[in-house]
Amino acid sequence: MTDVFQYTPGDSVLHRMNPVTKIFLTFCICMAAFLTDHLSVLIFLLFLDLMLGVIAGIPRKAFSIFRGLAKISLFLFALQALFVRRGNPVFWIITDEGLRTAGTVVLRLLVVCLPFALILAVTQVSDIANSMVQVLHVPYAYAFTLALTIRFIPLFMEEMSGIMEAQAARGIEFDTKNILKKFGLLLPLCAPLLISSMRQTGATATAARVRGFSLRTADSGYKKYGFGLVDLCAAVLSIALIAGAAWIR
Amino acid sequence: MIRIQSLTFRYEDSKVDALHDINLTIPDGSFLGIIGPAGAGKTTIAQCISGIIPHAVRGDFYGSVVIDGLDSADTPLTDLSRLVGTVFQDVERQIIFPVVEDELLYGLENFGVPREKIEERMTFALTHTGITSLRHRTISSLSGGQRQKVAIASLIALQPKILILDEPTGELDPGSSRKIFALLQELNRTYGITVVVIEQKIMLLCEFAKRLAVMDQGRIIREGSVREVLGNISRLEEIGVNCPRVARFSSLLGEQIRQEISVCVNVEEAEREARRVMG
Amino acid sequence: MIRVENVSYSYSSGATTVTDLSFHIQAGEFVAILGENGAGKTTTVKLIDGLLRPTKGRVLINGSDTARSRVSERAKQVGFLFQNPDRQICRNTVREEIAFGLRAVWGKKEEARIKARTQEMLDIFSFSGDEEVFALSKGQRQQVALASTLAVKPSVLILDEPTTGLDYRECTHIMNFIRDLNETEGTTVVMVCHDMEVVLDYAKRALVMAGGRLIADGSVHQIFRNVPVMEKASLLPPQIVQLAVRLGGEFSEADEAGELAELIAKKRKGG
Repeated sequence: MTDVFQYTPGDSVLHRMNPVTKIFLTFCICMAAFLTDHLSVLIFLLFLDLMLGVIAGIPRKAFSIFRGLAKISLFLFALQALFVRRGNPVFWIITDEGLRTAGTVVLRLLVVCLPFALILAVTQVSDIANSMVQVLHVPYAYAFTLALTIRFIPLFMEEMSGIMEAQAARGIEFDTKNILKKFGLLLPLCAPLLISSMRQTGATATAARVRGFSLRTADSGYKKYGFGLVDLCAAVLSIALIAGAAWIR
Repeated sequence: MIRIQSLTFRYEDSKVDALHDINLTIPDGSFLGIIGPAGAGKTTIAQCISGIIPHAVRGDFYGSVVIDGLDSADTPLTDLSRLVGTVFQDVERQIIFPVVEDELLYGLENFGVPREKIEERMTFALTHTGITSLRHRTISSLSGGQRQKVAIASLIALQPKILILDEPTGELDPGSSRKIFALLQELNRTYGITVVVIEQKIMLLCEFAKRLAVMDQGRIIREGSVREVLGNISRLEEIGVNCPRVARFSSLLGEQIRQEISVCVNVEEAEREARRVMG
Repeated sequence: MIRVENVSYSYSSGATTVTDLSFHIQAGEFVAILGENGAGKTTTVKLIDGLLRPTKGRVLINGSDTARSRVSERAKQVGFLFQNPDRQICRNTVREEIAFGLRAVWGKKEEARIKARTQEMLDIFSFSGDEEVFALSKGQRQQVALASTLAVKPSVLILDEPTTGLDYRECTHIMNFIRDLNETEGTTVVMVCHDMEVVLDYAKRALVMAGGRLIADGSVHQIFRNVPVMEKASLLPPQIVQLAVRLGGEFSEADEAGELAELIAKKRKGG
């Protein structure tokens, strides 16, 4: 799972698309998912998400993210189905209304989360940050913080697994299969982990400072982020999605 | 030129001086190695030269650090950074972006290097650090030595007059460590960049540095050419500084034959000295 | 004691691998594993402790297959000191830190014994016990991690670059302690180390790795004089060994500065 947030180099249409367009597309997919209550529309959107993965040339990664999310979704589905009391009983305490609501919630979750993970897989964080500053005029400090956060996720995960390894080696049962127990063992480690990552973030901030962080303006970017035909098509598709979802509703 | 005068620094909340009355002049084109036991103040002095102290670290700062005529306390950190390139101890945390090219671009963009010059500067930095082929690679796919070179390249691109590095070979194997020092030597010789490097590996300093400064308890206790500093190795070993084995050998040989023997700093010299002694 | 039999390992990403490793380590040995970064040294020691499971072959410690038991159960037997002590340390004071490790291995019922042993370790390492761990220097934190690892009296101690980032004095202090342990208690030591001087001073046997394979296995004294092996592993022998070999003849076997100086002085008198 550690490589989920990491960039996969490539030359697909999605790689070449303006980062702002990609964010817009993602945003529109989310909007569409929230506008509609139809299961069929949600399934269509999910299919579209996975197709994006295929177009980006990373179908295997797309499906592995999907599998990861599906596990969480299954758990959520069960909870929802058990707790929704409206509608006609299907069997035991499960109702048809419960199943429908659970299905909608879970599908929505999948539809919304997938494109975000996909965009991160085909866009370098520096491009996201720079294009947001250039095109959307987002203040650089915010864009930079976002870029750094994404950059540090894999480092944080690596540190985490290193700690668990070291703890297992000294006899703490981090190699247990019981997830609850593992979680309990993990809690006391949170403080040192946070302290060390805070210290490291401080070092990175200083490193950015001595390389002229404060001199940066919206025009500083070397790479320019233009819009092309692909971006136009994607934008049209995005708007069509929202319009469609709103209309079918 | 770096001129440090009566510099004393104490970190906020600390009861002792991290640096105490330091006086040190580093002329242009120097290759200075700083060595000393843990807690001697090596990182602190590096941060004083790069301007991180007093601009980004709190504490009591007395005396002055003047870099190329600019007093570090009165000059904004970003102006100092144009002169001094700093490689931090933990290089992993210094690298900001996940791809080599972006890492190099970052400083160039910020310091407002004209667009038409950027490509030239990038090519220069990549070529001279020998990492042209890594330009589009992700940082996570690089080895420790390669990451160190990316950090150096991102500074070289900014054409600093001074490079300061805090234990750049800490986690590297002997082969990669030598490559980093060879690179620093080339930058020093060919472009006259002043190199100040904090390093525990005394053998690398003997081979590559021109001068050595030894620190202990916040003071510089000795400064001079490598040979001068290694002249009295027993004092160095006393404060916990590793000495090259051949230097120890030449000092022991001197004791054995009751004769003054000039200190040896590398194997070739030791061999010559041994053969001379045996006649 | 430790038997590594035809072990291969590949990460799921296909990154660093070790291929077809086989060696035995007897009880009480002091072994160094040498090689470049990426040669597979850390992978090898992790395989020994079972932190990684071999994709092929097996590792036996005292006759039992490491793949059949959990790493945490092995802590009694095998102590592992990492390059970065901060991953090991998770308590605020030195006393709590040492007691924490003991409690995990001995169980909470042994409180009296744990207290006694903690005090013993504090005395050995000259800690008062109330020091805040994260305010200590890296060398001192490494000592805390070592104290905590050794508290349970493991019969095997694995060290992954234990001297990285330490100054000469800290390094000597830790390594002397480990040597004493090896000599007096008979603790088996397996150490990954980049510093050839440290290897020469402390280890007796060396395993040399290159490209994930074991390319040489022998006494440190011999390995450092084996030019093709050292070249293949991109390693330089320690200075005194280089000097001794250059001088040749009766000097070529010297490993220490003092020994060599004495030999030369003798030759001068005699010659």
